[in-house]
Amino acid sequence: MRYAVLVPEAIVVATAIGILLGGRFGWFPRGSRAYLPPAAALLVLVAFGVELWAGASLTSYFGGALVQDRFALFAKAAVLLTAGLALAAADWPSEDSMHIGLAMPLLAAFGVMVASSAADVLGLWAGLELAAAAAVVLVSLRRPDLALRLLLVGGVASGLVLFGFAFLYATTGNADLVAMRDVLVSRAPTIALALPVLLLAAGLAIRAGLAPFHVAGLTVGLGASPLGAGLVMGLTALAATAVAIKVVAALSPIPAAYTLWAEVIAGFAIVAGGAGALAVRSPRPRLAYLAVGQLGWIAAGLATHFRSGIAASLFLLGAFAIAATCGPALLGRADAGEPAIAGLGAVRPLRTAGVALAMLSLAGAPPLAGFFGELAVAAALAQNGSFVLLGLALLGSVMSIAAAVGTLRVLYMQSPPEESRRGAAAALPVVTALSTAGATVFCLVIAAYGLLGNPIFGLADQGAEALGLR
Amino acid sequence: MTLIAITTQTVGAGIFSSAFLLSLLIWVPVVAAIAIGLMPNPRGRYDTLVKQIAFFTNLGTMFILFIAYNQFENFLPTMQYEEKLPWLPAIGVTYHLGVDGPGIAMLMLSGLVGIAAMLASLGVRERVRSHFALLLLAESSITGAIVARDMFVLVLFWGASIVPLALLILGWGGPRRAAASWRLIGYWGLGTAALLVGVLALYAATGGRTFDMDTLFQTRLSSRIQLGVSVAVIVAAATRLPLFPLHGWLRDALAEAPPGVTIVIAGAASRLGAFLILRVVIGGEPAAAHLLSPVLAALAALTVGYAGLAALRSLDLRHAGAYLAMVPGGLTVLGIAAVSPLGIAGSVLSLFTGGLAAALIAGVCATVSERAQTRSLRLLSGLAPRMPNLAWLMTLGAFALLGVPVLASFSAQVMTFFGAMKNQPVGGFAVAAGLAVVAVALAVLVGRVLFGAPNPDAPGVSDSSLGETWYLGILAGALLWVGVFPGGPKIPGTDTPLFDPGFILQTSAGVSDLASSYTLPIPGASP
Repeated sequence: MRYAVLVPEAIVVATAIGILLGGRFGWFPRGSRAYLPPAAALLVLVAFGVELWAGASLTSYFGGALVQDRFALFAKAAVLLTAGLALAAADWPSEDSMHIGLAMPLLAAFGVMVASSAADVLGLWAGLELAAAAAVVLVSLRRPDLALRLLLVGGVASGLVLFGFAFLYATTGNADLVAMRDVLVSRAPTIALALPVLLLAAGLAIRAGLAPFHVAGLTVGLGASPLGAGLVMGLTALAATAVAIKVVAALSPIPAAYTLWAEVIAGFAIVAGGAGALAVRSPRPRLAYLAVGQLGWIAAGLATHFRSGIAASLFLLGAFAIAATCGPALLGRADAGEPAIAGLGAVRPLRTAGVALAMLSLAGAPPLAGFFGELAVAAALAQNGSFVLLGLALLGSVMSIAAAVGTLRVLYMQSPPEESRRGAAAALPVVTALSTAGATVFCLVIAAYGLLGNPIFGLADQGAEALGLR
Repeated sequence: MTLIAITTQTVGAGIFSSAFLLSLLIWVPVVAAIAIGLMPNPRGRYDTLVKQIAFFTNLGTMFILFIAYNQFENFLPTMQYEEKLPWLPAIGVTYHLGVDGPGIAMLMLSGLVGIAAMLASLGVRERVRSHFALLLLAESSITGAIVARDMFVLVLFWGASIVPLALLILGWGGPRRAAASWRLIGYWGLGTAALLVGVLALYAATGGRTFDMDTLFQTRLSSRIQLGVSVAVIVAAATRLPLFPLHGWLRDALAEAPPGVTIVIAGAASRLGAFLILRVVIGGEPAAAHLLSPVLAALAALTVGYAGLAALRSLDLRHAGAYLAMVPGGLTVLGIAAVSPLGIAGSVLSLFTGGLAAALIAGVCATVSERAQTRSLRLLSGLAPRMPNLAWLMTLGAFALLGVPVLASFSAQVMTFFGAMKNQPVGGFAVAAGLAVVAVALAVLVGRVLFGAPNPDAPGVSDSSLGETWYLGILAGALLWVGVFPGGPKIPGTDTPLFDPGFILQTSAGVSDLASSYTLPIPGASP
């Protein structure tokens, strides 16, 4: 039974590798396009179920390199649900390769699972790089130039993260996160420690696509296929944020070393995300900027450096991951500017409802998942006395909601173009039984996440507690 | 187990007893909205059915509400029909609902305005499903904000009303709908942000354990914190009511929105501003209420005076109607600024009467401009003979704004002014002066539009349709009913109420509790 906890990882990796190899060597028959996505989504949902069932046991593996605690349970459950929904809701004909399109989100999810279970900095780094590499592969299918850019920017981010980890290791003499925290309890925060932490924060911010480090990742995300964009905006950011939460927990004895950076990045990201979302009109860039804004809220929760703040961030992270990953996937091929989504609500009601809910949730509009998470973070900020950051965050949210309403107007209140004039630029996402089911479940999850949020928030709170936060 | 550990206090419930009565009022329209939104409607084949579902949903909730109103115990100072469920216990959020006198007044207002809005929207032809679904969602969020007894729940519903109303303006509004919608989002969004800052400051100051109003308001806070929280709440309320100078959204929103949406905004959604001040500042922060009462009186005077002058200068009928709809808000705030039992009772009544009056004047201006095919006051003249129904309704709306006897707003204004003249005489006189300007503006408007010389260059006009007469008639009728029977009609020769126990009596419940911090000590009484 002890190893049942690793079953979800095994299912995800086996599915990903199986699909990759099957695609490469032609094991799948011609008609496999019809059943591969539902099969993959089903397997991920099975993994999700196993995670919820078996993941409650607290244990460690591989000599303590991986731990299964409440944080890992929360993050893994979130990523599995996200990946399952994204695979189900994706507009598969608009993807460049079904096999790679199926495998990469699974590998990215595996990266997040590794990072969230990691007990030391090596595991964190490995999980983060795996998630990011999966995104590079998926982007390269459509835009090799952008993939190269993502690889280069990712290399810089990776270097910064490695430098930060190396310095923390050198300072504390430990790579293990718990041991690191124990050592830091007796240390005073110094500039010499704060500067490497700043580099580490910058590296993670680049990986997460947080403003002002969002430029490279965002551009790349916009050029990728729908699922690729979701991977860059959602799962990679989820991996980076999971790493950031674990690092913050390790650094919690000396909050002065990172809170300033976190507050500055958070404030900037929220306002820039809201302003950016208002400034653009196309749906996918708007989704991307809204995601940047919500990531800023998550960073704001990390800046509070105590349990309820981190728990609020974790709760919001789940909502963010689902909306940011599935939003572009639901949008599908209707991503060629505003005309492509004009009146989409009339012709693709369920998909459109999903896109609308994803946008509103990322904007923090009540009563959706993002709103509950942002309000929980806001409560933590108030307890922390961070009213300036709170004010900036609320300003950013108002801008974000205004931007989301602008897209809703196009989705629902403009008339769809005539079919004869639609053309490739305004092609409609394909409707299948799987995509309908995916969109329906996505809508239910986003609506119910906050309204029935007690057990989810309770798990997030336990997750923060598991990281040693008080 | 905690999820089903429901605290039910069925005080107020009699023949019709439900532990979820308030939840029904909130969530039934949401369910109906979702059903309407998901209903297949190829080429508008089921438009009529959609309208019927929406209308009967409102009628049903109004029926439940009327029973709740009848069974409301007016002698109890406590909350009634209370529901309490743990929601997010980790941060102290409770699904806590309840109503007192001011709450039931607001609920009745919201219910009546909801039915009127449905009737006003029967003429919608485009995207019928979306229109009625959004209208139901807007009404549901307003109801939620009224009955919320947890600050988190209040912010949730307060903010939730923005998106549907903005979309309704954006989708079905007049030529300047985009600007109107963005302004509404901007002002209301900033108001929500201010409310959230105030709520979170209160939450943090009380130890960050709960958002429950019962606990938050019972905690003794320093005057400084009370002042900070109250200022944030007043800013939020001023954007919603609106009060000068945070009224920038009002003209365009009320002038560009379709009539049904106009009356929801002017009648119910805006009144939430005054209700918020009453609930949080008056009910929870007495020290700050005393300190800020002159500011509130000044805001009330500025609002009424500005509204009168702006309406007087306006050359657009709907703009004039929008400005005039600001007046009741100013009067309600004057009653609050009095910080006396009489003033507060007047402001509670004024919530209801002011909402109806604002909805009536804004609605009638919208309908007249639609029926006359122009909004220009240069063209609109001498319409009374050609639109007698609307002429009557417009006159009633004008009378309601001015508080003419026989209409319910008379009682509200008498109480408000009597309360204000004692504690805020300067503010009271200033508001009275502003009201005189409003009277002049109304006289000019009514005189020109209804009784001026007919304009041969004006487009053709027609009187209101049956639906329009009904929706405006409901608003005017409610004002007349409460004005004629403030204590409810009685069986002749007895004190037994016929079917209405009396609006003033029912809404007085809890007012004494709200005003308990503002009663003067009796001379010679032992402490």
